[in-house]
Amino acid sequence: MFSNLILRNSRRERKENGLFFTSLVISIVAFYIILSLSRQDVMIFLAKMESNAVNKLLLMIPIFYGMTLGILFFLIYFACKYQMERRRKEFGVYLMMGMRRSRLFTMLLAEDFLSSLLALVIGIPIAVLLSEIISLVTARLVGMGIIGHQFTLSLPAIGFTFVGFLAIKLAAFLILSGKFSHQEIGSLLANSSGNEKKQKPGIVYGICAVCGTGMLATAYWLAIGGLAWNKTGMMFLTLLLGLLGTILLFYGMRAVIALLVKTGNANRKLHVFTFRQIQENVIHRSTSMAISSLLILAALCCFGAGIGIASTNRQAGDHVLDYTFRDCIAENPQDALPHLQDVLKENGLDSQFSQLFEMRIGHVHTTENFEGVFQMESVMESLHRLPPSKERDILLNNLSYTDFPYLICLSDYNRLLEAAGKPVLTLTDNEAAVYQDAEFTNTGRAAILNEILSSRPVASLDGNPICLTGEIQSVNLVTDRSITLSFALILPDQQFLRYTLGNYDVYINGIMSQEAARGASLMTAISDLNGKLAGIGLGNSGIEYESYLQNMGRQLFYLVAASYITIYLAIIFLVVANTIMGVQFLMNQQKTGRRYQTLVRLGATYKTMCASARKQISWFIGLPVCVAAVSSLFGVKALFAGLLSSRVQETQGEMLLVSAAIIFLLCVVEYIYMNAIKRSSDRVLLTLIQPQREE
Amino acid sequence: MEPILDIENLTKTYGNVPNQTKALDGITFQVMPGEFLGIMGSSGSGKSTLLNCIATVISPTGGSIVMEGKKLQSLKGKSLAAYRGKTVGYLFQNFELLDNLTGRENILLPTSLHEVPEKESLLRLNKLAKYLEITDVLDKFPTQMSGGQRQRVAAARAMILHPKLILADEPTGALDSKNGKNIMEKLSGLNQDEQATILMVTHDSNAASFCRRILFIQDGVIFHELRRGDESQQDFYERILKVMAQLGGGSSHVF
Repeated sequence: MFSNLILRNSRRERKENGLFFTSLVISIVAFYIILSLSRQDVMIFLAKMESNAVNKLLLMIPIFYGMTLGILFFLIYFACKYQMERRRKEFGVYLMMGMRRSRLFTMLLAEDFLSSLLALVIGIPIAVLLSEIISLVTARLVGMGIIGHQFTLSLPAIGFTFVGFLAIKLAAFLILSGKFSHQEIGSLLANSSGNEKKQKPGIVYGICAVCGTGMLATAYWLAIGGLAWNKTGMMFLTLLLGLLGTILLFYGMRAVIALLVKTGNANRKLHVFTFRQIQENVIHRSTSMAISSLLILAALCCFGAGIGIASTNRQAGDHVLDYTFRDCIAENPQDALPHLQDVLKENGLDSQFSQLFEMRIGHVHTTENFEGVFQMESVMESLHRLPPSKERDILLNNLSYTDFPYLICLSDYNRLLEAAGKPVLTLTDNEAAVYQDAEFTNTGRAAILNEILSSRPVASLDGNPICLTGEIQSVNLVTDRSITLSFALILPDQQFLRYTLGNYDVYINGIMSQEAARGASLMTAISDLNGKLAGIGLGNSGIEYESYLQNMGRQLFYLVAASYITIYLAIIFLVVANTIMGVQFLMNQQKTGRRYQTLVRLGATYKTMCASARKQISWFIGLPVCVAAVSSLFGVKALFAGLLSSRVQETQGEMLLVSAAIIFLLCVVEYIYMNAIKRSSDRVLLTLIQPQREE
Repeated sequence: MEPILDIENLTKTYGNVPNQTKALDGITFQVMPGEFLGIMGSSGSGKSTLLNCIATVISPTGGSIVMEGKKLQSLKGKSLAAYRGKTVGYLFQNFELLDNLTGRENILLPTSLHEVPEKESLLRLNKLAKYLEITDVLDKFPTQMSGGQRQRVAAARAMILHPKLILADEPTGALDSKNGKNIMEKLSGLNQDEQATILMVTHDSNAASFCRRILFIQDGVIFHELRRGDESQQDFYERILKVMAQLGGGSSHVF
């Protein structure tokens, strides 16, 4: 009998509060996914090469797990509170009939446990499936058809999901039942009809709304102007202003809605009723609306920034080189290549490379005085003559530090150009070409410099005149994309040897042969070859190497880590914010159900009431979402301004576009969520008026 | 004169076959325009079921309710909603004012539901507010009003669209005797001055003494009828009390 009651109550609860139950399932999925991160294909793959970074990320997972637990605790606490609030009369009746408090407690605990268990039973398979899909999709997205996918079931992840979820559920339950256990039966039985809060004069709310808006505007201004990033104090002030501004804005919003009540066409169906309902919701829930709005803002910022940052890390560049070797023990730089070839031949790996060529890079060594070795006044003058622009100023600034440039050997660079399928350069003895890595230039700046170079300006290198010619060169010199040159001169071989006095560094670039790459994807081939190279102990011969794969892996790691974590957080924030708002609205609708029954008697049709409720939902959820969307435009821009290094700043416009698109996408998600709540509200209304409605 | 409401052999049964309850068991009566009719009976006699059938919040099992020549059971959708709001006005025992709307907004709620021009309804509102003495609470919320004021606001809301029939469900039930007397005087005044037709369910003999005619219901059937002739309200009240005294003991002692 008792167990039947528990089963029935638990089922009814899930049915009446499907939204909350769904969020529970989503939170379980989120737990599992973050906990099983280490089992993802991409992470397993990355761990092979970037184990340090991956381990650091994985060490952070408990922190994210703890944070998620904290956020979800509030969600569960809120939702459970409303649920219990709604059933208080029922509890009173149980107690009246002589049920002991301990028994009531056991019953509620059992009900709660049953729901939690069901959520876990539904959630875990979904989570496993979803994490598998994410694993496959990310692997496919980053082009690793590679490493064979294996179905993984992370038992520790399941364990921690179980424990964490049940723990916060129990904690919320204990706190709430503690509160209820002190109440008298009489007060439980009495219908608490929305305890009226004391109203202040309208002007107070108006002032609050204006102050809130002002504070928000100041926070935006501080954030966008970059002032917020100057000092910790300023950052704190900005955040505080934003937080207080949002809360004040929502607190004062009732005044704005009161105006809407008065100004609107009162004759429209239920206009006054609809706006009074919205106003009531705003009055009773202004703080939680503000918090929801801030959570959505956090989600939008996470999404926008995460995807923006990730997309800038994916500078594909042309893939030319598969390997770069470096000989650490050869005393004479000329011996490096033969030494490597010997080692490879000994181990039968020489056929793996179609090409192995040197990349010689050095500095001017013909003088002891390193200051002003290279001067290009004519170029600087030409720049000065140009009309002022941002690009020109950046160039002027960057080029003023080029008095001791790197030198690159022409024949090596030409082999690189050939491999990349580009036309080779021809230079006479007193000519030089300018090299700038792609990271340090953009199309605008390159165009300006090319224009100047086309007039063949004369510069001086160690006192000798040298004619700068050709276009800016930017093909990557070695595999490792972390090694870049901001400014270098490409010199004919003889001149290179003359200026460097044979004192230069040698990198040996390798391109894999057809044989090595046969029958497998490039990634698998490199991965295999990496295994072979490790097998012959190349490191023991004093040869270090870096493969395209490792380099890719490093890039990939940043991409995956940034996007994974931010998107994960964004989803958690969104789910929590939406659930808080949705549950609050529906609970309030239940609570004020009598009003709808009265409306029926006054001749309102089901359709009219649904329309009114839908409008209320649009406003109740739309307000926080709109405030968050506006704030996020500034927030994401501020994040970019503060977090990104200056060299990536120039793509900011592009990134902002990405973020704007994401924000738009999220607004669509909100819209879908809103519709789900609306449908649910229609159902609630139907049940509210059903007993009286036998048309 | 045509009756405004014609109820013919009305039945309403609750529950399924083995344990059915007959709440109404063949009730027949008519209401004439301008009449102030009371319906009395003890708890469970079926008087609220009867009122709910007329208000179309529940549908009867058998018989017919004809309002101004139209059979209520045939109304659907829009015409049903229009009937609820415009043809009948409903006065609840516990007022059922929406507590987040001001008095004025509460009264004007039906006009916004049925899209009545604002100017016209404002005129009506002012007249009603003056008569019901609620002008100074129009901009207050229900929680800021006394019980009597709330019921008078509710009465104004029921009257705002000139309904053909006002259905009052124990309008004095939640009021003290002074406020109860006051609202009855107002209703009675509206009945006399505006020829408003009122059908009131009550078991308060005092309130019932304001009516012109009273039907007594017991176990789902009309078992007695009282008409107030030229006698004073006090005499009528005493006659009502006598009938009420018999109600518990069956029909053997009724005159």
